[in-house]
Amino acid sequence: MVALIKRMRNLRELLWVRIGPGALLLPKEVTKLGLEFSKNKVGGHMGPRKFWREMLPRIKFHNPTIPVEIRRHNTPTGPALLHIYTSTSSDPTPAASDISVSDTTASTPPSSTPNPRDTQVPTTATPAHTVDIKSADELDILAQLVSRTGATEIKATPEEAAEMAEIKEFNVRREKDRVEVREKLAKERREEELLRLARGEVSAAA
Amino acid sequence: MANTRPLVAQWSRLGNSSIAACKADIPRPALVSYQTVRHASGKPASKDKDKKKRKTRNTFRQYDLKHAMQFSLIDAMHYIRAFEVGQNPASAKYEMHIRLSTLKNGPVIRNRLRLPHPVKTDFRICVIAPPDSKAAADARAAGAALVGEDDIFEQVKNGVVDFERCICHTDSLQKLNKAGLGRFLGPKGLMPSAKTGTVVKDVGNAVKNMVGGSEYRERMGVIRMAVGQLGFTPDEMQRNITSFMDTLKKDIAQLSDRITKDIHEVVLSSTHGPGLTLNGEFKSANSIPPKELAGPL
Repeated sequence: MVALIKRMRNLRELLWVRIGPGALLLPKEVTKLGLEFSKNKVGGHMGPRKFWREMLPRIKFHNPTIPVEIRRHNTPTGPALLHIYTSTSSDPTPAASDISVSDTTASTPPSSTPNPRDTQVPTTATPAHTVDIKSADELDILAQLVSRTGATEIKATPEEAAEMAEIKEFNVRREKDRVEVREKLAKERREEELLRLARGEVSAAA
Repeated sequence: MANTRPLVAQWSRLGNSSIAACKADIPRPALVSYQTVRHASGKPASKDKDKKKRKTRNTFRQYDLKHAMQFSLIDAMHYIRAFEVGQNPASAKYEMHIRLSTLKNGPVIRNRLRLPHPVKTDFRICVIAPPDSKAAADARAAGAALVGEDDIFEQVKNGVVDFERCICHTDSLQKLNKAGLGRFLGPKGLMPSAKTGTVVKDVGNAVKNMVGGSEYRERMGVIRMAVGQLGFTPDEMQRNITSFMDTLKKDIAQLSDRITKDIHEVVLSSTHGPGLTLNGEFKSANSIPPKELAGPL
């Protein structure tokens, strides 16, 4: 098990999932988010991936009830899309997601075999908004999402901001220390190597 | 005057350093008297002696949890679900890591249990029994993937181990031991032995129990086990965790009196998520309602 101090230091970074870009409260109408992009970054799929890795955890943390579906295909020329499903969009299917979820919870016995509650059934409903996010960077995608849904941003409290600044400072310091230690070790190793060489020459001469 | 030698050496080393300039000012006799005083105080003379005295530790190192951030189950699940966003809920799992305070060389805890909500049921189970016996038929009926004796031995020796559990019939044990499979199965923890309860008479029943069962064992003072699928609700997780902890406590109680093992730390983690130390509570004052974590990921 990783040492406790190290783990706690990493846990401080849980903060990043609470504040920062992407910490927003989606309005009640939004029922689901969908993302579709390539597994390979080639062809403008890097932004969507970064959006998934960096922004989606924050969105999910602040909106735990909204399911997020990610589909990744293998064609770089394929689409990169952001789907936003809302309860007012078309038929009641996405709106019923809450109800159907509780239904399946009651009817299907909790088992390990994937059941519809665990593995999402592809929604047949058409998304209210479909945004092309090819070659867009993660902040652009976020801006698109905010403008389409009218989500409200969650501001960091002063304490959180202060802690974030502290972590940042710590990381800077850590990098500096790392360089110093690396230099010192390299120097020691070089000296040792020289010594070894010198000894080797002596023994070879003898 | 053997004592003076290290000290003189020290001072001569000092002479090489930047304060070499003031070396001449220091009167030498004073040094000797200073050193005698130091020795009278009973300090150990050299570093080497210090090192020899240090004992090797025979327990795993434990950290004080006083400064650890601890979470209630719901809070931990809240974070983990955020980190696992967009992952396939059938492939990503909740894991449990339980740190024990225990001896390094003592007996290890090793057991199997059936969680109220099994995590994985599609194990490939191998049963070592004569292929044409009744036991073999039972095992096949119960869902064993591989049943046989010599064929399996041959296969394993060729390095093909495509099963995750292995059971042996009592009568076949001798044949198994003669085949010398320990080298192949041992490192994977698959070698059947009476101690682990994988050498049984009633093979059919054992297979039935094993399907949907999970195994755990202590390694380096930590027990790790998958306790749930990502789609599980907080209530399901709570039931799984309590049943796991109960079995574990029973296991610990069954050990002989001379051996003490305590549960030191319980960590909930997931395939892609961070490890969060649990504080034993279901929910904290400002955690979200459990219903919000029940939906699809």
